[in-house]
Amino acid sequence: MKILVCLKQVPHSDARLDVAGHGKWIQEDNIKFEINSYDTYALEEALKLKDAGGAEVVVVSVGPARVTQALRTALGMGADRAIHVNDPAVEGSDALGVAKVLAAVVKAESPDLVFAGLMSDDGNFAAVPPMVAQLAGLPSTTAAMSFSVAGGTVTVERELEGGALEVVQLPTPCLIAVQSGLNQVRYASLKGIMAAKKKPVDTKTAADLGVADAVGAGAARTEVEKVYVPPKGKGAEIVKGSPDEVAKKLVGKIKELGLL
Amino acid sequence: MGTILIVAEIQKGVIREASHEIANLAQKLSGAGHQVKSLVLGKGVRALAEGFAKKGGGDVLLAEHDALANYNADAWTQTTLAAVKASGASLVLISNTPSGWDFAPRVAAALDAAFVSDCFGAEDAGGQLVFLRRIFNGKLDARVKAKGDVAVATVQPGATSPFEGSTDGKVTELEPGIGECKTKFVETRVAEAKGVDLTKASIIVSGGRGLGAPEKFPELLAPLAKALGGAMGASRPVVDAGWLPHEYQVGSSGQVVTPKLYIAVGISGAIQHLVGMKGSNFIIAINKDPDAPIFEVADLGVVADLFEIVPALTSAVTAAKG
Repeated sequence: MKILVCLKQVPHSDARLDVAGHGKWIQEDNIKFEINSYDTYALEEALKLKDAGGAEVVVVSVGPARVTQALRTALGMGADRAIHVNDPAVEGSDALGVAKVLAAVVKAESPDLVFAGLMSDDGNFAAVPPMVAQLAGLPSTTAAMSFSVAGGTVTVERELEGGALEVVQLPTPCLIAVQSGLNQVRYASLKGIMAAKKKPVDTKTAADLGVADAVGAGAARTEVEKVYVPPKGKGAEIVKGSPDEVAKKLVGKIKELGLL
Repeated sequence: MGTILIVAEIQKGVIREASHEIANLAQKLSGAGHQVKSLVLGKGVRALAEGFAKKGGGDVLLAEHDALANYNADAWTQTTLAAVKASGASLVLISNTPSGWDFAPRVAAALDAAFVSDCFGAEDAGGQLVFLRRIFNGKLDARVKAKGDVAVATVQPGATSPFEGSTDGKVTELEPGIGECKTKFVETRVAEAKGVDLTKASIIVSGGRGLGAPEKFPELLAPLAKALGGAMGASRPVVDAGWLPHEYQVGSSGQVVTPKLYIAVGISGAIQHLVGMKGSNFIIAINKDPDAPIFEVADLGVVADLFEIVPALTSAVTAAKG
């Protein structure tokens, strides 16, 4: 079985979010990046299948040189090889542009399964995985909270609202966008990190994949006009003082509410 | 000037509130010269289509088919594409619900159209559609412009109020044109009976990733909850990390709670958590990050180290009880 895992590298969850001078995105210089949290669950699910009976796990990511770090981490965790679409022409693409790139990779690789995270921690779009499936002619499902595959049929429990689940089945090949919490994500071992140095990372351009016309800001169907700190509402009344003073004030309020 | 197509969603036998909210958004945009139409899809749903046509849906395309008896990504995508063609829509609005986020991107990709997800607002800026949405889990907002002839957008449930007026739309049948559906619906499983029913608690003390380690819940948070006679809850990252079982999770995918007092400890306030607790009568937030979104919904905030505040508060509560 061959499994393709789509990874995005995003600003670290602890990174400072300052709006860039041009106002259209955050300032990304000198901040730390990490693998999108949802995608780590997607990778783990693929690695579990590899552990269980031998699958080839290929990771793919679209982005600049810094993305190499994310791919190396994934290889260190146990992925077999990586594809890095590193092409300045892809910069400025919207979700659909990135989906076209990834769909081209899916077509070239013909995997039995494609895993992706439900959404990214930066744009929160949740658009790329179903788009990739549509463009590559694959069935897809999202928010997978459990996954199993047997005899060419995938069974997934999708997360609905209020803790309810929907069970769906899809034939392979298909794309599964996973919800966070699907599994316990492993760490890369030292041995794994050493082994990863010898694993192949294949670098591609949009032209290599035949999608040069589909990428970049010019081809994008959407444009981020500006990003900004949300206007503050009234906000909370901030209680100040030493821990004991704060505690006393909070207790006063709780008493006022008739709860003590 | 164009047609806005609302894809209505049926839940538990009725058009869900989120669809009425989209109708409100669409009707506001219609003031900018757009015409509102809707798609109602399902099986045995004519009466719902008739009702929606009168309550903001406008002219309704009714698609009924065996394959539409339960949500199915392939059938929903194909039927929506048929409705876009039949209506000549230039904007398709879908709720950002578990079904909406599942098929809306597929529709956009098939149409090669602009796609903007989870919007909380939309405006027509002189013929240019602009959508407002949150990014970075609510820490920033973005204005996103749609380019080209067609746009598909999903709308955050609860972002606007439902449409209250009336419309005089007519219902027309639409041939959904459903071909092969590779995805098969098997069943829906309702949430299991919960060992912890937070929906009935009058006081909830919830912890987030800020607690740093699973043992901090019994050590630090449980004593405060106990002193207050309340229940303990948690945010999604805590449950995802396996620190506490799912039954403790407060949020859109966990329990939606409305206690008299909600104390959020070390919770930054991702949208999905806020949806689950913002209806609480009184909210106290304790977090070291002054910019944490939780302070936007809290009544009282403490910007400090929770490891100093929580023990002090537990002692003060215990002392106050005498």
